[in-house]
Amino acid sequence: MFKPSLMLSALLFASGGAQASELQDVNKIVQQANLAAYYAADDGRAEARMLIEDRDGGRQSRQFTILRRDRAEGGDQDFLVAFSRPADVRNTVFMVAKHVAADDDRWLYLPGLDLVKRISAGDKRTSFMGSHYFYEDVSGRNLNDDEHKLLSSEGRFYQVLNTPKDPATVEFSRYQVWIDKANMLPVKIEYQDETGSVYRRVEVLDISEVQGIPTVTRSRVSDLRSGGSTTMEFRFQKYNIGLDDAVFSERSLRKLPRQWLKRPAS
Amino acid sequence: MNRSLPTLLWGLLSLMAPLPATADDSPVTDDGWEQGDDSWDDAGWDQTDSDTGPVLHGFSELALGGRTSDDPALADESLTLGEFRNRFELESAVNDMRLSIKADLYVDAVEHGGHGRLREAKLDLSPAESTDLRLGRQVLTWGTGDLLFLNDLFPKDWVSFFAGRDDEYLKAPSDSLKLSHFTDRVNFDLVWTPEFEADRSISGQRFSYFNSQSGLQTAQSPRIVGQDKGEWAVRIFGTEGSTEWALYGYYGFWKQANAMTVSGSAFHSPLQVYGASLRDNLFGGLGNIEIAWYETADGQGTDPAIPNDQFRWLSGYEREIRPRLTLGIQYYLEWTQQYDVLKSGDAGNPFRVDEYRHLISLRLTQRLLQDSLQLSWFSFWSPSDRDWLLRPVADYRFNDQFALTAGANIFGGKERHTFFGQFEDASNLYLRLRYSF
Repeated sequence: MFKPSLMLSALLFASGGAQASELQDVNKIVQQANLAAYYAADDGRAEARMLIEDRDGGRQSRQFTILRRDRAEGGDQDFLVAFSRPADVRNTVFMVAKHVAADDDRWLYLPGLDLVKRISAGDKRTSFMGSHYFYEDVSGRNLNDDEHKLLSSEGRFYQVLNTPKDPATVEFSRYQVWIDKANMLPVKIEYQDETGSVYRRVEVLDISEVQGIPTVTRSRVSDLRSGGSTTMEFRFQKYNIGLDDAVFSERSLRKLPRQWLKRPAS
Repeated sequence: MNRSLPTLLWGLLSLMAPLPATADDSPVTDDGWEQGDDSWDDAGWDQTDSDTGPVLHGFSELALGGRTSDDPALADESLTLGEFRNRFELESAVNDMRLSIKADLYVDAVEHGGHGRLREAKLDLSPAESTDLRLGRQVLTWGTGDLLFLNDLFPKDWVSFFAGRDDEYLKAPSDSLKLSHFTDRVNFDLVWTPEFEADRSISGQRFSYFNSQSGLQTAQSPRIVGQDKGEWAVRIFGTEGSTEWALYGYYGFWKQANAMTVSGSAFHSPLQVYGASLRDNLFGGLGNIEIAWYETADGQGTDPAIPNDQFRWLSGYEREIRPRLTLGIQYYLEWTQQYDVLKSGDAGNPFRVDEYRHLISLRLTQRLLQDSLQLSWFSFWSPSDRDWLLRPVADYRFNDQFALTAGANIFGGKERHTFFGQFEDASNLYLRLRYSF
């Protein structure tokens, strides 16, 4: 009596769970992946460093602290990126007010000139501080900019093909994303040119749980044409630190908000 | 000052070293993680801030530049830039206070000898939660123009700019007090400079200029009566949605000595400036408008030795026209007021400014090789003065330490007395190699 009912409930639970995690609607899949990748908790801080390598073995590095605050889950967000290395970009600050329904607002603070330089909204797919990452990789690409198509939900990943609505604004003709069903994080992205060959790849190398939230701690972007790559590592991440609006302002560009940038005690 | 700067710097260094560095000191630790460091995986992230004191950074730079043609007024000087420059930067924090020092030591083949310049020595405080105070020698910038300044009356160093030093040197520091207050929607900046800081204008030492009194090109330094009174600058600003707005005020003196005493010396006559600016996203790019009213000591226009009032206008637009290729254009107007009065009072001065001075700027920036190579073109062209300045620059960053810059400043014009036209013989090519640490 007892055992079969337990088995039954276990079966029901398992199948129910499976149904909940097996998504059919591609828009729901990309939405959840977007939330997992860019909207974890309400805000957060992390220290990051990038190792930029070219084909000939030349290496450069960047080190920065990043602050993020969500204005709405899946909606507008603010980012502040404060560089500490190398010497020639030290104290340079990059700030984005990301808008889902309008162009992003972006600023770069150049400390040598005390200049708050606004960056035009268009050029998002340009190198993020000399790395193989693009500005858009850091703050996330607007879901409405692409058509999404579910290629496969076999096995561990959802495979989604994304085609730009306005091909003139981007350098790719489409890109395919592998989303891990276990945590809904996009773990591999391959960008294709007009001939369908892959020329750029973004891969997640390590994921850790931070305050119970699966969080990317290591990733790499490879430029398959030039043979160069950039590896990015995150450490000292902390979520829900209570960032307020005022942190994302011209004041922070000219005078770093050090109480928020400093490494958390734990 | 010049010779004692190294001593001063090292004195400060040793003074600051024993201070307990707080956790606020730096957002990331100085963990020896450098370019080419093989320990990238295991890292030194774990080092705590308390292990690090004030950190010394800076650069060494070798720079060389020369005229593209001889300047008869400076017949013996073909070099326009020749220096070995060392920059030392130091930051230290104690509780909420933060001290930042930047000093340059350099030997100069044009202005012969060794020089020391304290570029920055500022103390940052926050006396209240929404109030910041910045005291000391500092570089200050505001306004929306690209190399055009309407409401930014902080000192510029045109000699450095023309000679091809790093862009940073276009802005000269001033010894000022900057008080800022921030609220949800409106912010306030107030800058007091107790002793007026003039622009570093072309004065004949490195580049010759046109003397409108003699009507000749000259390398003689002009006789300038100094101004030691103070100056004030205010800005009220905010962001509504994506729109940045600002109102500006300035109470001081012309940054150029463009007024004349009866004895024929140049001086900085009183000036008040009121202005406003807007900047926002526009058609996938960026648009800006800035206006300024220059109220001078000769509002009636009757004194030809003192500049008349002016209305200044700037509009600009910038956008990426192809991947990694950005185009920026600006239109700028200087409209001299009471022009008829000026005309009737200056005895037919052939070098009188135009009533409307129009200026168009064009900037093209191409980023290549993962941003390691940046090619940029900047030009000013004035259809009213019929003169121009062309500034092509190539920047190449070899790695995190070494960078090479090659560029040119090409001046020209139909007449010898106009703003850019007078610097035709100042046209130069330059090269800079920098090691950053």
